[in-house]
Amino acid sequence: MLPDHLLGYSVAGAVVVPHFLGEHDHPWLRSLLEEHERFIGRPQRELDARLREPLPCESPPGKRRLATQVLAKLRTSLRQTPVPPRRARALVFGEAARKLAPPEIVLSTVAASLGVTPEILHDSLFGDLPGERLVGAPAEPLSALELALRSNLALIQALLCRATTVRIEVEGNTRILVRHAKWRGLICTVADRAGPTDATLELSGPFALFRHTRLYGRALGELVPLLAWCPRFRLWADCVVHGRRLTLQLATGDPVFPASAPRRYDSHLEERFAREFRRLAPEWDVIREPEPLTASGTLIFPDFALQHRSDAARRWFLEIVGFWTPDYVARKLALYRSARLSNLILCIDEGRNCAEADVPPEALIVRFRRRVDATAVLRVVQSTPRPPGRYA
Amino acid sequence: MKLQFDRGTLLLTGPPRDLNLAEAPGVLWDPRVHAHRAPASRYPALKRWLLEGGTQFQDLSPPLRPMQEAWSDVELRPYQEAALSAWELGHRRGVVALPTGSGKTRLALAAMGRTGLSALCLVPTRVLLDQWLREIRVVYRGAVGCYGDGVRQRAPLTVATFESAYRHMDQLGDRFELLIVDEVHHFGGGLRDEALEMTVAKARLGLTATPPRDAGAAACLAELVGPTVFELAVADLAGGFLASFDAITLYLDLTPEERSAYTSLAAVFNGVYADFRRLAPAAGWADFTHHSARTVEGRRALSAWRQMRRLLGFTHGKRRALASLLERHWHSRMLIFTADNETAYAIAREHLVMPLTCDIGRQERDEVLGRFRRGDIRTLVSARVLNEGLDVPDADVAVVVGGALGEREHVQRVGRLLRPGEGKRAGVYELVTRNTIEVGQARRRRQGLVARPSARL
Repeated sequence: MLPDHLLGYSVAGAVVVPHFLGEHDHPWLRSLLEEHERFIGRPQRELDARLREPLPCESPPGKRRLATQVLAKLRTSLRQTPVPPRRARALVFGEAARKLAPPEIVLSTVAASLGVTPEILHDSLFGDLPGERLVGAPAEPLSALELALRSNLALIQALLCRATTVRIEVEGNTRILVRHAKWRGLICTVADRAGPTDATLELSGPFALFRHTRLYGRALGELVPLLAWCPRFRLWADCVVHGRRLTLQLATGDPVFPASAPRRYDSHLEERFAREFRRLAPEWDVIREPEPLTASGTLIFPDFALQHRSDAARRWFLEIVGFWTPDYVARKLALYRSARLSNLILCIDEGRNCAEADVPPEALIVRFRRRVDATAVLRVVQSTPRPPGRYA
Repeated sequence: MKLQFDRGTLLLTGPPRDLNLAEAPGVLWDPRVHAHRAPASRYPALKRWLLEGGTQFQDLSPPLRPMQEAWSDVELRPYQEAALSAWELGHRRGVVALPTGSGKTRLALAAMGRTGLSALCLVPTRVLLDQWLREIRVVYRGAVGCYGDGVRQRAPLTVATFESAYRHMDQLGDRFELLIVDEVHHFGGGLRDEALEMTVAKARLGLTATPPRDAGAAACLAELVGPTVFELAVADLAGGFLASFDAITLYLDLTPEERSAYTSLAAVFNGVYADFRRLAPAAGWADFTHHSARTVEGRRALSAWRQMRRLLGFTHGKRRALASLLERHWHSRMLIFTADNETAYAIAREHLVMPLTCDIGRQERDEVLGRFRRGDIRTLVSARVLNEGLDVPDADVAVVVGGALGEREHVQRVGRLLRPGEGKRAGVYELVTRNTIEVGQARRRRQGLVARPSARL
């Protein structure tokens, strides 16, 4: 996490404006990467000393420190010394304690016993220290653009680390945010939808009710790279930066490094069903992760929507209740019961032993063992002329 | 009504209609989950309030306790007994302040053994985590849990690092009745205080050699752990339960080149700093650094300050003095303290003295301390690692080449020498450069060693 002195921002009213690295920073970022490249294989302290001096082209000091820090985290370092440093220390300091002699004599004695020169031994003594390690290349080749985006992400995450609550208006891929928030122990509430957005989420931790805390900052910051996979979003966060309560805003198009692409399907079970249903029923669209549904102040994310191509009224939500803990299944079914959906198909693993009373009475049930039978689901959607929607 | 531990807080669900929970201690309405919520640390007060009001409620499930028969007796010295009594009289809440080397861990072991409560011990570092685990296992034969250094094992007696406690108290907070906080002065400043607020433990014992003198931090600590219930300083125990020691300050000169460089750097720094103090007389050092980082002159001043510190870290005079002391005390066990790792490594290279820094791995560090204990190595140099808590084998000479953290650090460093021995008289040398900022720093840090007006009970 970035320390305070690396946070580049200005304040406009009560809004904290992060100083993003942009295209105009690419020339000096390229210089920074070139300098780094030049020092590969040399001790870290030499690179550190070089980076304390100016780069060939002008660079803003704050942004440069940020990019240098981010780059340092991405690169590898190693050191292979002729004598393992730990062994060298054990022998040299042991010998120095054994007899009162000038350091050169001690080094010569130990070096002779190891068959190396005193200089090599002296170099090996602290060869494993951070400053003595050899600069390595980053695991993946890095461009100025990527370094800028990664630096921006680090900056936003550091600011969010100082936040207690985050509000996000989001359209599309809401599920990955909600799932991540729950996994990290955050409370996620859903406000009324505003305009075209899927949902407005408020995210905070249990303890945030009592006072400003940084307890959840890391978890909140982890949401940022996921937002890149939402077609539209706006984020507001209450942060305390240098003792001032400020609002951080972030929106679609802000230049931050994205997370790796989320998996399209949660399981092979889902993937196989989608593939088979598409092949079997080309007149139906299989929509993975359709719009979320609100129920009891929270969101439900059906696994699929099945939409007839020529009849917009024929739309079904499909949820696969697979191999999960009994508690999880009970909670999920309770949510679907409270949603009172009339166009819901529940595919329930027979191994779950769900009682009839647990299942939402409005739902159509397809039981399965090992694989969801696409033919059975198609039979249900074709044979049930029920008007879609919710019961009042 | 049901009381439920929910990730470091208490959730109150299904309250009777006639119960006004808004009056309950620490309770707030949480609109996010449509229920009342309180910080876990308010559990004792909340439970008392509910019982006094005659409210029926389903309580938290009680945590498992350690096996009583697995404890061995823990014998205490008279002042440790007095400290434990003071804590008991304070309703098992409070801070005990005792000098380094006077047996604070032992006192904590006695508190755990005699109360028989399930206990969570919080320690600042991984080194101390190992040390506490070892100490507990000497007097308790049952399983001991550990949170930290990549391990997550819970048992009725568990030791956790501050960092792990901060991260995992949402899962650990309802499993312990007694909370012991080693080096408790790290709390009370707001940073990571949540770790103490997210546990229901009613009994709380804080241990430190240097209780906070700042009124705000002391009040906050009193709220989190309890007030200081017992306090003794080094001078109260030196010559009896702690070894006597001589504090010797060696005033050293800069070379003409060093003096010239120092004067130039001081001029750059002093000008900016004086201007800042004129504008904001009440501001602190953190405000100055924050303010300075935003201007070219400020950054230059900060850079000058860092260079001054580096210059004073290991001057020519200190080099000569240290060489002479190393020769004079060649047969003694000596600890050398520096202001930073860079100086520690410079000394290590120049005098072939083993450094103990954060860069030296745990296994090697344990091995080195073992060799120091056996006398195979007689001198160690360190910036911070030896400062706090670490059980350093008997040493009798310390050389303070530099320090950055003032009174608290100095008390802890001197404490490293005070393990009593027959006829032992330790020596603490401070190397201070004349007519520099070090003179004032040295004067201030020595204040922590004076006797307290009286031991508080």
